[in-house]
Amino acid sequence: MSSSIGEKCTQIKQEYDGCFNSWYSEKFLKGDASPQCDDLFFKYKECLLKTLEEKKLDTLLADARKDNPFPASSSTSSASSSSEPNKKN
Amino acid sequence: MVKFYQHTSSFEHAWDNVTYAFWLRYPNPFASHVIGCDVIDRQVDPVSGVLRTTRLILKQGVLPRWGRGLIKNTDAYIIEESEVNPRTQTMVTRTKNLTHVRVMQVEETQTFTVHPENSKWTQVKTEARIISELKWGLTGRVEAFGINKFMDNSVRARKGMAHILERLRQNAALAASAPATAAAAAAPDC
Repeated sequence: MSSSIGEKCTQIKQEYDGCFNSWYSEKFLKGDASPQCDDLFFKYKECLLKTLEEKKLDTLLADARKDNPFPASSSTSSASSSSEPNKKN
Repeated sequence: MVKFYQHTSSFEHAWDNVTYAFWLRYPNPFASHVIGCDVIDRQVDPVSGVLRTTRLILKQGVLPRWGRGLIKNTDAYIIEESEVNPRTQTMVTRTKNLTHVRVMQVEETQTFTVHPENSKWTQVKTEARIISELKWGLTGRVEAFGINKFMDNSVRARKGMAHILERLRQNAALAASAPATAAAAAAPDC
């Protein structure tokens, strides 16, 4: 199992991954999408959000996620590229 | 300058297993540069039944000598957004780098569908866009490097997926003969 970007979150992340993997293969792919790992995901995310803040990745991520990666119909997304943040780390 | 890349390939594995392997693909022997991988967001759309996931992946970059002056910190963060529609048996993934975008931005989209000629196989369509806005005559070299690097990475990514798929196949074979042992042997990844 891969590690979390935040070392202290790796254990809870791997617990969550284990839960997700069995849900995905045994439930979701078989047509049952009812949630199963929400509690673990909540705990994992709590840890992860702190890490993202510490590493100052939260704003980088928020900016990246403004672009909708799955536009409903048209595939033209280059028009707004000038609004991309031009950050230098 | 922008360069495009397009490629279609297939896995001799069922669509279910290929999409499962996508979640399990780190770590694998062909991705030692991947240091961490986290799920930022994940939900199932109640109407369409589509699973949407956002992951953040940390890779340790490898740069040519002339690139080291451009980039001090070679850690690269990648965002991966994906949609799995179990009804239409379609998985679409889109990845792009969040860091070093001034030097080079690589956006890759992969679409996994049931193979049109063999329902037990999976077809993968890869489309990528490599953009660099560097000046001082470096652009061409950066993009040529980007394309080569991207192709190398594609080959490695494919090997990684094949490795995981083979492991899933072995586990399934083991489960058929001795269920308890197989459950212990199955090691889920990222």
